[in-house]
Amino acid sequence: MKKILSVTGALLLSASSYAADLTIYTYDSFVSEWGPGPKLEKAFEAQCQCDMVFIAVDDGVSILNRLRIEKTKTKADVILGIDDALIEVARGEELVQPHGVTVTGLKQELNWSDADFIPFDYGYFSFIYDSQKITTPPTSLKALIESDAPVIYQDPRTSTPGQGLMLWVKRVYGDQSDTAWEQLAKHTVTVTKGWWEAYSMFLKGDADYVLSYNTSPAYHVVTENKTQYKAAEFSEGHVAQIEVAAITQASKNTPLAKAFLTFLISPEAQTIIATNNWMLPVVDGLTLPAVFAELITPKRIGFTPKEVAEQRQFWVREWRSAATR
Amino acid sequence: MKVAGWVSFFLTTLITVLAFQGLIGFSDYGADWALLTDSYFHSILIFSLKQALLSALLSVVLAWPIARALYYLPNLPAHRVFLAFCLLCFVMPTLVLITGLVSLLGRSGVVSPWLVTILGDWNLYGLNGILLAHIYLNMPFAVRVFYQQFKNIPDSSWTLSMQLKLSRWQRLRIIEWRSLRGSALVMFGFIFVLCFNSFAIVLALGGGPKSTTLEVAIYQALKYDFNIAEALMLAWVQLLIAGGLFLMVSRFGNSHWLSVDTAREDWRPIPTGWRSWLMKGSYYLVWLALLLPVLALFAGVTQGDLLRIDWGAFIKPTLITLGLGILSASLGMGLAYAMLTPIRQLSVSAQPRKRVLLEWLATHALVAPAMVISVGLFIFLLPIIDIDRWGIVFVAILNTALVVPFAIQKLKPRLYQFDDQYDALTRSLKLKGLQRWAIEWPFIRSVFLSTYALVLVLSMGDVAIFSIFGTSDWTTLPWLIYGYAGTYRIAEASIASIVLLVLCVFILWLFEKVQSRHA
Repeated sequence: MKKILSVTGALLLSASSYAADLTIYTYDSFVSEWGPGPKLEKAFEAQCQCDMVFIAVDDGVSILNRLRIEKTKTKADVILGIDDALIEVARGEELVQPHGVTVTGLKQELNWSDADFIPFDYGYFSFIYDSQKITTPPTSLKALIESDAPVIYQDPRTSTPGQGLMLWVKRVYGDQSDTAWEQLAKHTVTVTKGWWEAYSMFLKGDADYVLSYNTSPAYHVVTENKTQYKAAEFSEGHVAQIEVAAITQASKNTPLAKAFLTFLISPEAQTIIATNNWMLPVVDGLTLPAVFAELITPKRIGFTPKEVAEQRQFWVREWRSAATR
Repeated sequence: MKVAGWVSFFLTTLITVLAFQGLIGFSDYGADWALLTDSYFHSILIFSLKQALLSALLSVVLAWPIARALYYLPNLPAHRVFLAFCLLCFVMPTLVLITGLVSLLGRSGVVSPWLVTILGDWNLYGLNGILLAHIYLNMPFAVRVFYQQFKNIPDSSWTLSMQLKLSRWQRLRIIEWRSLRGSALVMFGFIFVLCFNSFAIVLALGGGPKSTTLEVAIYQALKYDFNIAEALMLAWVQLLIAGGLFLMVSRFGNSHWLSVDTAREDWRPIPTGWRSWLMKGSYYLVWLALLLPVLALFAGVTQGDLLRIDWGAFIKPTLITLGLGILSASLGMGLAYAMLTPIRQLSVSAQPRKRVLLEWLATHALVAPAMVISVGLFIFLLPIIDIDRWGIVFVAILNTALVVPFAIQKLKPRLYQFDDQYDALTRSLKLKGLQRWAIEWPFIRSVFLSTYALVLVLSMGDVAIFSIFGTSDWTTLPWLIYGYAGTYRIAEASIASIVLLVLCVFILWLFEKVQSRHA
């Protein structure tokens, strides 16, 4: 027993340092060995001569929830990976502080001016299909919802793409959203908890369409050399998900946090993020794999973060009862 | 030992109390009882009850003829392997089973086209998938229990039945049913509770808001909206229903649901003709049904995947999974044994009411919503300790708490049996401490080892607790599967599933081996 204890003790002590100069909360897949996290860490540490650590939780929503529990006791200097739909909640609960970074060179279509949050990547929610199986994909959201094609999407209560679809349907259908949900429910294979369950089921062939991002095809081209996966472009326009970073209210090292946010929108960091997180960069003029130029570039529609914060609960309930019927 | 027992009771109960305290303390409000009148709540409550009822009923009803076949035809080929396989099914990590079922019966599954031809329409997601997975996990287990019960029928019963010229129906009613009745009821209650609290399966195969259980609804309430009031209300309802039922079953049922292994060779009537063929047929059919999802898992991996994969990435998570599992299983066995000391004393001194209450308390982790316990404890601990550093300790602690009920249920009958036979003797000889242990250990060794293997494999499959307390420094194998699949690496996820499965098989085989050497 003594031996076991000493071995456990040694293992615990050898684990990575917990009192870093800069602590960043993010989501799991961001820091996985094939995600952008480790490469960003290396690049930033070389620049700042400091020690930074990522602490990863389940996903964007969990980052926010953790911050809500910890409030001022949080270790995080920066949160990275909540999306624009959650911005108002985080701001409303006074979890973040103004970044004070001069942001220049962001893409026009983002139309970004926020004193607290800095975008670091984005993507358009899109339905992905296999072009070897489907030759004429629908050209509008209405056409897809009114069809009988097997579809998989994610639960708006537990995943950000699911919430994206909720906003998308709301924007396109307005007051008729509940009928749209009922229609969609008739040919929905399954509603999954998170993005990966849906996407892996789709790859197995469980559905013709899966809700994902317009950037998903890039992954298949670059790492698997598979060109058959495409995103369907819808005439009504697409809702975008913008992933953002911010400095926490309780940050103990705001100068370094600011330096990190500045680094995050630098060409070096943006290139790493685009090709490891499989989302679009927020700045122009990067050298990216050719496939990025072939991705669909839909018209952007949606709601302001404020509208989302006010209406979300109500819309979720509407979806919940319509999809149960 | 008695003190250790009460300390163990205190510790396991403390975890639950602190968890609820965490949630209640954080929200400043109580449960949201207004939800009671919400039609959505009614639909999830009804669905939770319905699927649990069907899962338990089907598992028990289907298990009965299989157990019968095994009993009446002792020479069925590979029947020992079959029984071992049954145990594997029960402890199969849900993530592995889900992957297997989807490759088999999903929309593009191997078997699905046939199903569509036969049934006209087939969709795995929804009640279908939930029931299939629940039956896959629980029916084989019921087979094992029933088989043991059959084997406990004394030879004299059969001899007597021949002398009395009982008809087949009378034998079934008088001998078979009597020996199974108690365990059938307890099995039913036990499976009902497990399925009522089912989480990962309903989440993955439920297919959306139409098929949601209370446990999943709790998760959803906590996940995005962080609606603690709603989660608490759902948790109380779940605790009340599952806990109440479990208490009832442990009060009225025969408690030997994980009965003792007996190695006696019995005499029994051997069926012939079409009866024997029917039994053989159902035996092979179940073999096939249980093997198919596993085979489908292998079929999904190509040779190219195997060459491409980085096998080194598996080593650390495998070791961590094993290490954590061994820690939780060892602690869990220790706690279970300690908690059984006062329970056994109540049993010996014939105080059934107190005993049942204490048994319920010892196994309450089985009915408490795991999501509430993990999240509640997380909220409670987060401001107090450095979770990123010590989180893995709590993964081990919570896993320990979750395996204790299983360890208790499986150890209990054997210890009762020991008390029945030797308690008076050890008392009259004034044997205490180590001396008593020296007699007890050889008696319980074989059950102890098989229980150890069972809880070890059970705790190795966890992802729910890890998802809340785990850190990337300590990635376990099941979490790796999530990680791979979450980043488009589906082939790697399948291979990791296979590695986990092989590890489980190896552990069960190893303990079986050690156990039979000592038997």
